[in-house]
Amino acid sequence: MGAEVKLSKSKNAIYCIVSILVLCILLFPLYWILVTSLKTEKEIFQIPPTFWPGVLNLNSYMVQFNSGDFNMFHSFGNSMIISLSAMSIAVVLAVPASYGIARYAFAGKRGIILIFLVTQMLPVSVLLTPLFIMFKNMHLYNTFFSTILADATIGIPFSVLILKNYFASIPKELEEAAYIDGCNKFTAFLRVLIPIAKPGVIVCGIFSFLYAWGDLAYGMTFILDQEKRPITAGIFNFMGQYGTKWSYLTAFAVVTIIPVALIFILMQKYIISGMTSGAVKG
Amino acid sequence: MKNIKKFFKYDNAGIFFVLPALAYMLAFVGYPIIYNFILSFQDVTARNLKNGIRDFIGFKNYIDLFTQDNVLTASLWNTLVFTVSCLVFQFIVGFALAVFFNKKFAFSKPVRGLLMMPWMIPITITGLIFKFMFGTDVGIINYFLKTIGLIGENVEWLTSTTTAMPAVIFANIWIGIPFNMILIATGLTIIPTELYESASIDGANKLQSFWRITVPLLKPTIESVLILGFIYTFKVYDLIYVMTSGGPVNSTQVLSTYSYKLSFEMFKYSKGAAVANILFVILFLISLAYLKYVYTEEEA
Repeated sequence: MGAEVKLSKSKNAIYCIVSILVLCILLFPLYWILVTSLKTEKEIFQIPPTFWPGVLNLNSYMVQFNSGDFNMFHSFGNSMIISLSAMSIAVVLAVPASYGIARYAFAGKRGIILIFLVTQMLPVSVLLTPLFIMFKNMHLYNTFFSTILADATIGIPFSVLILKNYFASIPKELEEAAYIDGCNKFTAFLRVLIPIAKPGVIVCGIFSFLYAWGDLAYGMTFILDQEKRPITAGIFNFMGQYGTKWSYLTAFAVVTIIPVALIFILMQKYIISGMTSGAVKG
Repeated sequence: MKNIKKFFKYDNAGIFFVLPALAYMLAFVGYPIIYNFILSFQDVTARNLKNGIRDFIGFKNYIDLFTQDNVLTASLWNTLVFTVSCLVFQFIVGFALAVFFNKKFAFSKPVRGLLMMPWMIPITITGLIFKFMFGTDVGIINYFLKTIGLIGENVEWLTSTTTAMPAVIFANIWIGIPFNMILIATGLTIIPTELYESASIDGANKLQSFWRITVPLLKPTIESVLILGFIYTFKVYDLIYVMTSGGPVNSTQVLSTYSYKLSFEMFKYSKGAAVANILFVILFLISLAYLKYVYTEEEA
């Protein structure tokens, strides 16, 4: 268990091999859909299965450019618009809110923190029916706005709780200095504190984006037209109609994962910090 | 220092920073929760959704749900079975992996990082992947099990009432392992190495130091992981909806999928709201208990 104890060379090698084995087992499902998406429909159903495509088949991707039934790239664009908008709302609202909570004592503060904590744990189902009726009455049903507004409610509480800790850890003397230099409370926040809290803001942005990107329930319930739906809802719809068209379905899956994988590769340290600080403190 | 502290205390300017986010959450979360409560005591269906004539019918929806058929009780039971099974397995595997990757070997950091991937995949896609892998004829899982001789015939995982639940549990464990692993790994790094050193000087073996040092010192982390895991797993929706939609014959029906089915497939909005409310009340009570616990721990 000793954290700093150096392992002997042979032990090091054994651990490395075991870790690679664990990795191969746990990430096999991801490898498997990538490989499947590159096979022909015939090869997918072949027994025994091939672990590498016999014939490299890019048709499942190419056909999307002129397919009428479900245009994957169009849905991908919808998801981008929805997720980026939800992310913007969440970040713009959560950054000042978390600063206010971290730095000021005001009436009802504990209650407000509690509201954010509890909403973070809410099941989607509780909001689905009432929001559906609300959006119908507001004439937002079947528009991007409905899903964007609903998706942001997942990102906001998460972001507030993460950023609260970030702002609390910034020395108060920095603001004091900013006031001496002629800043007021708002300009000090904008010019001094936000730049310092930038890593935290990035974590919030990433997670708010990912929450919205992964959403199925809101996109499926609040948007009726297939051509307006986000990619997750589009895929679900396609599954209902062509359930065994695995060549297309796995290609959709790969395309949906691409932005997630990119974020993951480029910003891994932010993600781990977000998971641990956000989750443990609830 | 004192002046600075005083300056920040009792300053209501803070409320202006918080107000926009608070207003947003009250409008799109607070109000819907209350609306959901009201809905569950009315009788709103596709017929009277538009005309606005809604009579209050008291607890009738709840009583009907419990007495007319056994889908609600089955859903409650399924949700519990699903949650507890997932928690047990993902916790054990996550814990083992956290301990393993806590050793400092060349690949420990990069490989542990890569293992976080499953947690980030959109759940719709995870559902799709496992629906494919659990496929009766096309699925790789049946192929593996046949190759190693565990089964003779292909198992109809997702279309048989006895195997659908284990299959969705398996898929959810895959998502939950990274979550458990990373939180426990963070907890492990806080335990000072000296404790293990002095324990081994005192003649403790590895197993003893695990039970006497690691487990007691990790207790707060373990509790958080389990309670948060419970909350996140109990509200499962997307995964089951994509893999089985609650079927076959409600064998994987959980509270959230049942609520969805009532509202958006049968258009019984009030009944759907009532089921969602039951889910909400259960989670709300657990969340409050958890938060109260965290706060008292922090203040102590």
